[in-house]
Amino acid sequence: MDRLLDARELAKAYGSGAKALRILDGISFSVSKGEFVSIVGPSGCGKTTLLMALAGLMKPDSGSILFQGTPLNGPSPGISVVFQDYSRSLFPWKTNLDNILFGMIRNPSMSRADKRRRGLELMDAVGLKGFDAHYPWQLSGGMQQRVAIARGLAAESELLLLDEPLAAVDAQTRADMQDLLLELAARFNQTCILVTHDVDEAVYMADRVVVLTRRPTRVDHEIPVDLGTRRDQITTREDPRFLEIRHDVMAAIRRFRAEVPLAEKA
Amino acid sequence: MALETLLLRFRGPVSFLIIVLVWQIVASLQLVPEKYFPGIPAIASSFWTMLLSGELLTGDGLTLMRALIGLAGSVVIGVSLAILSDVSPVFRAGFQPIAALVQPIPPAALVPMAVFMLGLGAKLYAFIIILVTVWPPYLNGVAALAATGDVPMKTGRMLGLSDRDILFRIKLPAAMPEIFSGIRYAATISLIAVVVSEMLAGHDGLGFMLIRKAFATKIPDVYALMFVCALNGALINWLVNRARWQMTGWHIRMTERTP
Amino acid sequence: MKSLRSRFDVNGLVLPVILLLIWQVLAWRANTPLFPGPLQVAQSIAKLYPAILGELGHTLLRAAVSFVVAAVIFIPLGILLGRLRLLGALLEPAIDMLATLPPPAVVPIVMLFAGTGDGAKIVIIAYAAAVPLLMNTYEASRTIHPAANQVARVLNLTRLEAMWHIDLPASLPMIATGIRLAVSSALLVSVTSEMLLATNGIGVLIQRQQENFQIAGGLAAITFISLAGLIINSLVFEFEKRWLFWHYQGAGASGRGQTS
Repeated sequence: MDRLLDARELAKAYGSGAKALRILDGISFSVSKGEFVSIVGPSGCGKTTLLMALAGLMKPDSGSILFQGTPLNGPSPGISVVFQDYSRSLFPWKTNLDNILFGMIRNPSMSRADKRRRGLELMDAVGLKGFDAHYPWQLSGGMQQRVAIARGLAAESELLLLDEPLAAVDAQTRADMQDLLLELAARFNQTCILVTHDVDEAVYMADRVVVLTRRPTRVDHEIPVDLGTRRDQITTREDPRFLEIRHDVMAAIRRFRAEVPLAEKA
Repeated sequence: MALETLLLRFRGPVSFLIIVLVWQIVASLQLVPEKYFPGIPAIASSFWTMLLSGELLTGDGLTLMRALIGLAGSVVIGVSLAILSDVSPVFRAGFQPIAALVQPIPPAALVPMAVFMLGLGAKLYAFIIILVTVWPPYLNGVAALAATGDVPMKTGRMLGLSDRDILFRIKLPAAMPEIFSGIRYAATISLIAVVVSEMLAGHDGLGFMLIRKAFATKIPDVYALMFVCALNGALINWLVNRARWQMTGWHIRMTERTP
Repeated sequence: MKSLRSRFDVNGLVLPVILLLIWQVLAWRANTPLFPGPLQVAQSIAKLYPAILGELGHTLLRAAVSFVVAAVIFIPLGILLGRLRLLGALLEPAIDMLATLPPPAVVPIVMLFAGTGDGAKIVIIAYAAAVPLLMNTYEASRTIHPAANQVARVLNLTRLEAMWHIDLPASLPMIATGIRLAVSSALLVSVTSEMLLATNGIGVLIQRQQENFQIAGGLAAITFISLAGLIINSLVFEFEKRWLFWHYQGAGASGRGQTS
């Protein structure tokens, strides 16, 4: 398979000397083209730091990220992010369509009319047909996140990073959005990395789950999710194999939590 | 209930009528000598006479023009300084104490000193108005630019925007509502600054007319001029609000949705 | 942290020092008492400071009395108008209109009623301070969150208890903003009214310096006004932070406000 991204021995610490807080301690994994990979770990394990490094928004102290075979230094047009905080990542002074068009700002080859057509297509794809002239703040939380996802797709990046994109929407909307994301990823053959603390979501969405240890964080192990490409909110979640994988990931995370001294847990 | 909704629908005129009525009652009761507290008809006829003779429009035109030009200058300078402060921490660190020191100086105190350096003409008005009104847009601008959240900036960087693009396409639009509330405040004090300057060192304009009429004890004229002062305030507020809708209409509608 | 702070202080001095130097050079080149440089202003400060402080005392005292008068009358009035919805809504445009009337425009009229003594000045200054006080208290008491009223009902508070325990604290942050604006406005108008209705105070001192072509002396007086304004404004802000810490704790997360 085609390697798209290769993280090698990523390490990051805040502060220096004896007081240094080691966040990442040699993380290595890789993602192939077309894959959907979930990254889960115990709370406070440096998931966000890892994601910022993968986005090129933060430079690791050591180790390297190879993206399409070349080292990543800073944000790349080949990588887009959908942030958890949709209400802040969408610009309230732009309409929904303009927000999505803003995602294509670094695509000079496309004409203004083509961009507009593609923007409307994407709005349709995320189920927001007819809301293009509305503003984000006129929509519900789940709908706002759909706009943010459409903007992430608009950039036509090789890799889409999903930073707990569904953590702030309600449970029912969440299930719908999971299926929407899977459908869009399949339709656009989009490579995705989902960072989440929700084990069920991580397993349900992914082709492969990367389980992180607690801080200082390394990769504990990886599990392929051999559940086929068609997922279903009811049957997949009842599948014995699903439950087995879920058990495995859950147990790993529980073990790391148990190792943390009580005072730190709160 | 029906009366209440009717009253509320026309509350502007109703409010005005209440003032006029109370005024007329107080005047008719002769609690205060009529010479000092004329009735509404006397004030209205003064207003009408000054309007017909053209002196009102000329004087008020000058005052409004000075206030608006000064305000426009303050907005341009204030926002530029705010951007400069955002780009250069050294500038911000140096300029903030200067702002804190100059801001509390009353325009009236500046007029006598400035007369010597700038004479009595347009330069004097520009200097006084800008020195007094530049602070609200500047201070609000600095605070709002600095308060742009982490997520919008990261979003911009992921889209490959340069620092310049992030400033002009993300931080500045996000700061605009806050800057406009500064401009609204600046608009009010720009009128104060003009009228005070005209009172102390002018030879035309509304402030000068007020002082002259008062010394000539043309009391109804003075009240009519005060009414014009209030109208000016309403007019300049209206203008600023129009501009605010034009530029930050999204924010006004957004905040109205969640009271 | 400490090294960071001292570095910032040095940076903060760069711009003011450059500006002072430019001013001084321009003053030397102009070489006229009508355009004094910072050195002459400093000399005037050294010479005049007893007189300046004395006159500033008059000015500040008048501003303080006027502010208290305005606060005692207009804060309760604002709360009342906010509670009496119909009356408040009807008078709102009138308040807005008064707010647009610049305080100095009132000077000629007040002069007629109250002469040119302390009474007239206090009325003008109090009027200037009243506008932000009235507008902010009115707005605060009108927009108290409905949940606060429900809490009062659930706890079976009387009207008076509810006003004291719920309405007042809930409106305090906004009233505090009104107070801050009113204090600085009182200070501004206090000086202005002295210059128009001269008897004593720092405004008169400035005018006398001007009449004698003592520009450096006038600038010295202005320096004191600006310092006094700065000190008073930061004192008010400090008090506000101390008493309304609960408001700032909650709002502090948004990180707004200037770094000083």
